[in-house]
Amino acid sequence: MLKDKIEKVLLKVQRPSRYIGGELGSVVKDKSKVNVRFAFCFPDSYDVGMSHLGMKILYGLKNLREDFWCERVFAPWEDYEQVMRENDIPLYGLESLDPIAEFDFIGFTLQYELSYTNVLNMLDLAGLPVYAKDRGEETPIVVGGGPCVCNPEPLADFFDLFILGEGEEVNLELMDLYAKMKKEGASKSDFLHEAAKIEGIYVPSFYDVSYNPDGTVQSITPNCSEAKPKITKRIIRDMDKVFYPDSFVVPFTEIVHDRAVVEVLRGCIRGCRFCQAGFIYRPFREKSSDTVCRQTKALCEATGYEEVSLSSLSTSDFSEIEKLLGDLSEYTDKEKISLSLPSLRVDNFSEELMEKIRKIRKTGLTFAPEAGTQRLRDVINKNVSDEEIMNTCRMAFEGGASSVKLYFMLGLPTETDEDIIGIGELTDRIIDLYRTVNVGKRSPKLSISVSCATFVPKPFTPFEFEPQASIPEITRKQKLLLDSTNRKIVNVSWHNYRISILEAALARGDRRLSAVIYAAWKSGCKFDSWDECYKYENWVAAFEKCGIDPTFYDNRTRSFDELMPWDHLDYMITKEFLIRENKRAHEGLTTPNCRQKCSACGVIQRIGGGCVGQD
Amino acid sequence: MDKINLRAVYAKYGNAKYFSHLDLMRTMQRAIKRSGIPIWYTEGFNPHIYLNFPVALPLGTESYVEPMDFSVVEECDLDELRDKLDNAMPPGLNIISVKPQIMKNTDVVSAEYDVTLSSENLSAEDVIEGFRSFLSADTIEIHKRSKKKGEVIVDIKPHVIVTDISSEDGLAFMHFKLPAGNSFNLNVNTVLDAFTDKTGISVNTVCIKRTKITAINGEDFV
Repeated sequence: MLKDKIEKVLLKVQRPSRYIGGELGSVVKDKSKVNVRFAFCFPDSYDVGMSHLGMKILYGLKNLREDFWCERVFAPWEDYEQVMRENDIPLYGLESLDPIAEFDFIGFTLQYELSYTNVLNMLDLAGLPVYAKDRGEETPIVVGGGPCVCNPEPLADFFDLFILGEGEEVNLELMDLYAKMKKEGASKSDFLHEAAKIEGIYVPSFYDVSYNPDGTVQSITPNCSEAKPKITKRIIRDMDKVFYPDSFVVPFTEIVHDRAVVEVLRGCIRGCRFCQAGFIYRPFREKSSDTVCRQTKALCEATGYEEVSLSSLSTSDFSEIEKLLGDLSEYTDKEKISLSLPSLRVDNFSEELMEKIRKIRKTGLTFAPEAGTQRLRDVINKNVSDEEIMNTCRMAFEGGASSVKLYFMLGLPTETDEDIIGIGELTDRIIDLYRTVNVGKRSPKLSISVSCATFVPKPFTPFEFEPQASIPEITRKQKLLLDSTNRKIVNVSWHNYRISILEAALARGDRRLSAVIYAAWKSGCKFDSWDECYKYENWVAAFEKCGIDPTFYDNRTRSFDELMPWDHLDYMITKEFLIRENKRAHEGLTTPNCRQKCSACGVIQRIGGGCVGQD
Repeated sequence: MDKINLRAVYAKYGNAKYFSHLDLMRTMQRAIKRSGIPIWYTEGFNPHIYLNFPVALPLGTESYVEPMDFSVVEECDLDELRDKLDNAMPPGLNIISVKPQIMKNTDVVSAEYDVTLSSENLSAEDVIEGFRSFLSADTIEIHKRSKKKGEVIVDIKPHVIVTDISSEDGLAFMHFKLPAGNSFNLNVNTVLDAFTDKTGISVNTVCIKRTKITAINGEDFV
């Protein structure tokens, strides 16, 4: 039994409860009574992966089915990986403690590009070859889902199939097909050919890619009759009817987001031009306030969490937000549960909403203006004005707040030095405002933190054609920002740009990057999103070894008629729309949000009406 | 009305022995919330369930005798309360009893442990022999990190009492009595580490179980 082996070594590692399962809410079944076993892998640590909502939804959904058993798998931290390898402990599911190499499916959720080396490492820890072509008949089907699947090409060589879009329906269809074909004794290849017929399933080996002499993609051609020329993502129509878990696995040890989470809506009406989530999750669909209330109560009662968070891309765009907060706070106040609202936008903070939030959140304000000047905010279609930022800050300061957190991006398309200096000027105005509001009062010292990311152009956004700023440009801009802010009050920090340039290459990369990921992993790269684990030099060497220049992917302006590596994947928004939006960005023109006016992104034609603002 | 102070005895075993004392606090708070008992919350800006653990249980150690103090806001039947709490516990935690607090939580002075050890390369008898010679030294000095003084050298010899030592089926068994509680606490793992340190004998811990918690007057802590 693997359990004895695990228990013998478990006390040698940090926070061992992450590796033994047995948490409240984890689902243990009799394996002789299930047909299909699914290893749901999150390619990062337990602490990060256990915070992920998608896994909680699909875990609950699959385990509702008597004949399916879904288990959780995370990347072991480095100390435990070493112990596992030394003691021949293969990667196992946390529910059964059985090796995942014995399962029917191994599914990875691909949430960010920097988790790709962990995927390879986990397959290897499972005792499986990392390349799909090297895995035999008797090995599990390796599948991938999540936002990065909108361009999975850099991972194409490692996966058997990808699942595009929302998973609630298609996962069950896929597992049902598998159960049926397993009984018939079908081969893996037979199964993949049948699976390719399901809407939203993409089998990368069924497509051949050729390249132009200049390195761009020339063609992506199906090589079998089941492979559709275009694979369309799946969406859920009715958010009030779709499955939502009424309990979570409650970890013993603290995780990143250690609270109950209720999803209130999908999609986003805003259309910020840099934001991939704002485009790939369209159309905008909401739950009713009653559904959210019911789900919140069920979840809080089942888990005992003392905090619940309302989750979405932009929770303040929820149509019934005032009613929802009213109804919910009645329950949460009584039960002494605190309510948190991430993803609030500054522009639609009403006084009443602010009052409710003030009750909920005692200190601290977080804004994401993303750019320092109105001009650049118009370019990226972040429709937030200076005035709105100041008004919200004023309300917050008058309510006693003394800290402000601001998020920006450096290296946005059309960015000039004035835009960066503008960040410093914005913080100066906030400092002045704080002094004015608190004049004559004994107020705490104001703290402003400015956190800067490096802009990463992403597929299926109007900026998919844009170059990322080069390394010397990024470092120059960072220095300029430091010089333009009042460093006594403003604390400036940024994400490591060396990580952002890798993210950019992987986000818009093609199949030739599989070799680079493999080489980087072989040289010891893993947990690339963790600053302390990221090995920049190894990645540089991996690109060199494979004869691939990352600047080809990062720093090149792509023409509107270039065939993108992901152009055979259909996320319902049209290329014409992306081009139109790109042109408007360069003209400094904003686009109204979907509620104000439909901007004809293409989704409405595909779903046949019923989109926001169209009813 | 005033709050009523109670003391539960809980068990922590199986997979639950792999989470820390800090995690125990969170886990218990959630379990209590699920149980729906009329728990007392702190009165402040951020009301939360108040729990006090008179003695900490080290990670990896099992126990069926652990005290946990809490308060309720209404008169309850204690057996019913025990059942409600126990039903809400996650796997590996149980509530054995709920009673009024008789002693002060600072009255704890010592705890007893059953320890089972194995060794890859030595017989159980050899391990025991090694342990006897480890105990027969004049002093057993260890480095102890203290918050105020940094690293200090402490002689733990006078504090380590071994009342039973035997072997069976290739395993070595020992029964320890060690200081516990707020004023001076000696972790059984610290003693085992010192043993390996001084004798060079490396052992696998098969099982450590806390069996008894004793108060200042020599009686069981209640």
